Amino acid sequence: MTNPYDFGLRAYEARLNITWAGQNGDLTDAVPFDASDAELKAMAIEAVNGGSVTGLTPDRNMNLDGFVVDRFQATEGTPYNRIFVRPKTPFGSAIR
Amino acid sequence: MKVVVVGVGALGSHLVLFGRNWDVSFAVVDFDRVEHKNVLSQFHSKMGVGRNKAQAMQQAMQGLFGIRLEAVPHRLTADNVEALLSGAGLVVDCVDNAPTRQLIQDFVRKEGIPCLHGAVAADGSYARVMWDPIFAIDGGGEGQATCEDGEFLPFIAGVSSRMAGIVQQFLADGSQRSEHMHPGGVITL
Repeated sequence: MTNPYDFGLRAYEARLNITWAGQNGDLTDAVPFDASDAELKAMAIEAVNGGSVTGLTPDRNMNLDGFVVDRFQATEGTPYNRIFVRPKTPFGSAIR
Repeated sequence: MKVVVVGVGALGSHLVLFGRNWDVSFAVVDFDRVEHKNVLSQFHSKMGVGRNKAQAMQQAMQGLFGIRLEAVPHRLTADNVEALLSGAGLVVDCVDNAPTRQLIQDFVRKEGIPCLHGAVAADGSYARVMWDPIFAIDGGGEGQATCEDGEFLPFIAGVSSRMAGIVQQFLADGSQRSEHMHPGGVITL
């Protein structure tokens, strides 16, 4: 059986991970590593609302304004590029 | 080894709790005072309310576990960062604001001190625990509403527990594992 997450990614592609409303999942398709933040957020919203991101419930109110796009190049441990669309994380101390 | 934990609120207080068996000398830095609402999601008790958090932590660890730690009841600033972080074998950043994170990051990079950062989203839905070389500082926390009813305590304590495990691994073999965390799981980088 083919592993849906074994993308066989090329050097200019990346695996996109999304965190939204406490849920988290990867797009099944590779994305361009050099896509703009806005393009990546648009891809993420479209994929989630299309129901294709395992782990994320479609949400018509999904809004990634203010979210951060982190890009990590492939390493020995993770041999493909990764991009994370995630909420800001300002707190370590003050959450009461 | 000296481990300096900057910020002993939600993440830092639990990190010290979970790190109580490490063979290190702890220093904890925090200028803030324990408020009633803090006891809902921080490892601070009603006995500590009104006291400085670093000193309350020191008293709690000594009284509960016989663990001695150095309490620094001051805000980390450009004027004292060298005095407070020099000599550390590891700095753990658990603060709640970008300017202090920047001070820590600038200093540890200049001095080559390993540094683990812990950072949580305001809505308790996501956290990052990352070693300094790949940690990017987020702003935007100032003025945001935060959970004040302890709803996120299980997630926060879980993040602190993962941080403690990462530090323990670092102390054992020097490895530096970074992770993204959300309530449903963990992604290792």
